[in-house]
Amino acid sequence: MQEIKENLIQHIKTQFKEATEKVYDGNRLDFTVDKQCIPSILTYLKDRLGYIHLSHIACVDWLEEGKFEIIFIVWSPEEKMKVFIRTKIDRDNAVMPNIDMIWRQANTYEREMREMFGIEFIGLEAPDEFLLEDWEGPPPMRRDFDTEAYAQETFWHRPGREDALDVREEIIKRSREEIPDFAKKYSR
Amino acid sequence: MINDKNSQKIVDIIQNWSRKHSIWVLAYGTGCGAIEIPPTMTSRYDAERLGVRGAATPRQADVLLITGYLTTKTLKRVIRVYEQMQDPKYVIGFGSCTINGGMYYDSYNTIKLLDRYLPVDVYINGCMPRPEAVLAGFGKLQKLIAEGKATGATKYKENIEWYKENQKKVITNWVMPDYNW
Repeated sequence: MQEIKENLIQHIKTQFKEATEKVYDGNRLDFTVDKQCIPSILTYLKDRLGYIHLSHIACVDWLEEGKFEIIFIVWSPEEKMKVFIRTKIDRDNAVMPNIDMIWRQANTYEREMREMFGIEFIGLEAPDEFLLEDWEGPPPMRRDFDTEAYAQETFWHRPGREDALDVREEIIKRSREEIPDFAKKYSR
Repeated sequence: MINDKNSQKIVDIIQNWSRKHSIWVLAYGTGCGAIEIPPTMTSRYDAERLGVRGAATPRQADVLLITGYLTTKTLKRVIRVYEQMQDPKYVIGFGSCTINGGMYYDSYNTIKLLDRYLPVDVYINGCMPRPEAVLAGFGKLQKLIAEGKATGATKYKENIEWYKENQKKVITNWVMPDYNW
């Protein structure tokens, strides 16, 4: 396992000088690269090193840093190794290179990220709508989208009962149970 | 003769009695609650002994079971299905999501109050309601039908403008017929 990892790091480092690696226990290895390198590093992994399976594409919203982190997870069935390729892009100008010519199924992930995070993929050919129908608000998975406030103003809500009673105390009154000490601090 | 008040009453009683014993449910599951329907229908709880059974199309069905949360996307289809159903028709709201949003109270694309969009005759609460609760709900509906109190469809017809206005508030792109009969 260690041998495979060192070998892989060496391969990647010679091709992509700016890539920084992070080694994890088990069959996992992380590389952080620039967004321009993404198509070439994925093609290299797929065609030369046998990482033929795209497991997942994930997006993380780092609101405080003003960045989106996009993570590609690829898997090699021969070496039994997972490789994470990470990249950070600007949150305000979220543009990514398109990789659906490398793996066709990446198209679905990219459509979802476009809809949920508002990331633009250059040259992505797909209909505008994916899961949300007639959506007019901001991309809903961004962390600065306040979903509760949006729901409050878009939908009706049933008001709660005015005599909102503490369920625990009411049950005790009816059945004359003892309330355990640890539960008392949760009472209203 | 048939316009006579008393004979109409007798006709109503016979009609309601027969309607009550043949509740056909449209096989249309919206949320996670649809998973409780197979055990209700099959041998253990056997809803068919009460006359409750599945129907293949909206036009053959009497009851529309809303099993769980409704996204705005699904609501569009549900309204379309409801409008296709023929009288007599009833709606059962199933699970706490249809009552007050349940665990999706802060979701950006699920409606919280079903009875603003469709006339609900019976609510079954719980998350999820067990098959016993579902059967109790059907029992309640049968009771209402026998008493002639399950008048959701009439209410819908009388207040169609109010319902349409509410529906169009969440369905911004209305690409189906107006159903304004």
